[in-house]
Amino acid sequence: MDADAVAQDVTGGPPIGVAIVDDHPVVIDGVRAWLAGERRLRVLATGDDPDVVLRAAPEAEVVLLDLRLHGRMVIDKLAELSAAGRRVVVYSEHTDPDTMLAALDAGAVAFLAKHEGREHCVATVLAAASDRPYVPPALAGAMVGDPRPDRPALSDKEREALLLWFQSMSKASVARRMRISEHTVKQYVDRARIKYTRAGRPAATKAALLARAIEDGLVRPEEIGIYRSQASTDRPTP
Amino acid sequence: MSTDLGAALDGAARRPGAPVAGWGGAVDGARRADRAEPAGAAAGAVATASDRAARIGAVTIAMAWHLAIDLPALSGAGTSPAASTVVAAAWLVTAAVGVAAGVRLLRGGLPPARRLAAVLLVVDAAVFAAVGGEQLFATANWVWGGLVWFFLLVLWRRPVQWLLALLGAHAAIALIVVVADGATAPADLARFAMYVYGTSSLPVAVFVGGGALAILARDRAGTAAATLVVEAERVAAERARTERRARLALVSGTAEEVLAELAAGDADPADPEVRRRCVLAAARLRRLIAESDDVPDPLLHELRAAADLAERDGLPIELVAVGVPPELPVEVRRRLTDPLTTALADARGSARLTVVAGPDEVVVSLVTPDHDGPDTSGPPGTTSPPDTDGDGEGPVELEHERDGEIRWTQTRWRRT
Repeated sequence: MDADAVAQDVTGGPPIGVAIVDDHPVVIDGVRAWLAGERRLRVLATGDDPDVVLRAAPEAEVVLLDLRLHGRMVIDKLAELSAAGRRVVVYSEHTDPDTMLAALDAGAVAFLAKHEGREHCVATVLAAASDRPYVPPALAGAMVGDPRPDRPALSDKEREALLLWFQSMSKASVARRMRISEHTVKQYVDRARIKYTRAGRPAATKAALLARAIEDGLVRPEEIGIYRSQASTDRPTP
Repeated sequence: MSTDLGAALDGAARRPGAPVAGWGGAVDGARRADRAEPAGAAAGAVATASDRAARIGAVTIAMAWHLAIDLPALSGAGTSPAASTVVAAAWLVTAAVGVAAGVRLLRGGLPPARRLAAVLLVVDAAVFAAVGGEQLFATANWVWGGLVWFFLLVLWRRPVQWLLALLGAHAAIALIVVVADGATAPADLARFAMYVYGTSSLPVAVFVGGGALAILARDRAGTAAATLVVEAERVAAERARTERRARLALVSGTAEEVLAELAAGDADPADPEVRRRCVLAAARLRRLIAESDDVPDPLLHELRAAADLAERDGLPIELVAVGVPPELPVEVRRRLTDPLTTALADARGSARLTVVAGPDEVVVSLVTPDHDGPDTSGPPGTTSPPDTDGDGEGPVELEHERDGEIRWTQTRWRRT
């Protein structure tokens, strides 16, 4: 039984193809090792040039992109890929909130700090592949501290969940603290993330995240609309 | 690990507001606007001082003119005792208006312009009517030249149009009396025009000049103060950079040591002690990368100092700050940081210290793995009641809890 067959057994489908773009071979090897432990994922191509990597593996469903390639921030490349519908998970050691929010605005499906580790990396890629949000703690911090006047309007519960998740990095602890279930904590955090699909320029990936969130019942269309009612956003959807 | 070192250097060299995010500049602009406030205040102080000198000058001119020129003119004014009484009473009323307006001006206020201007116009009309005839252009008609200085006082800092309107009314009253007296010969009208011009030009010049000087003084002082603010910011940024470089040197030293030993095979990656040293060095590097403030913030400075201290005792600690804390009173800052430094003393294994700050809210939190050891920060297993303590700037809430997995200490300040 080969690896693909095993993956098919577990997920009921072929494994998710991942492309890794980084200019440090040691990081590529590290991330590849992280993902190798997860049968639902398979690394299809790696390299330091997004165009070359994607030509080698056009079927890749998720692209892990280092935001800094050869000394240059590739926000514009990220925007180009996102506009074309590529699900890009940005991972970077540049974890200042400005950079993270700029990456979301450019259409990144998720932002992962390089030090956040394997667990978050695998979870982020798996979520990204199905157009579902995943908010690692560093990104939660950037969102809750977003100083921009045109930032999305988050409800008090969403803000609190983001803040506590950023502080503790444990959804179980956040749930105990807020006296709600872990599932509800995740909903608050994910809903805050979905509201960010309206920030910055439109991108195919943002539309996909939003569509999936509506399909999953995470948000109602009127909640993300420009004329949303503030009062209705605080109730977790069942 | 070389990537981490490179990142640390990048992080140290980078400044917030670098053209990563389109709105970074806007944030910087807002912060600069905050700091420009003291500049505006200083400019205001200079403008106030220069305005005060102008006020003293105007009050002195009006009162001196009233005593030295108008008062002697009263003798022999009026062709009848009744007319003389009117002229004298008008002098007294004008003096009273002058004192009232002068006191207001010297105390830094503005006199009630409309009411006092109306009183002055009544005085104007009464004196013109009383003196009439041959004394119209004589010194006895003291309101011609004397009253305009009081116009200046009551209309201080009002639009110049108001003064022109009042002078116009003054000239109109004079013209009516001149025409009523039948003095319509070209020579009389020419004399009238000369009087109007002669009595109005100087007060208008003083009025306009005084206002312009105050504006100029404000501008110059504002520019000087803004220059100082920029310079102070530059010095502060320079200091922050030097401090960061010094710490980078220290941190890279320890990191390089471990790396060199690993590379040479002297250190065994399986050795828990070697791993602990790696974790410590990595935590320090990450903290350094996380520092992105270009001006040292007292709150972050205190927390960093506490983190450095805990780290020296071998505790890997992560410090992540989001946002720019507002200027907080020392007492609020102390309430925010003290519970966390106490909790840090009890920490075992590792620690995560976070700060989320906005203009109206600052939340500081410390999360460490829970352990069986004593807990000096609060009763175990419970949430201590929020310790709110109000003061002028808003209360600081303290929450502390243990849930078997983590110990969580959080302080939160909200602007009230």
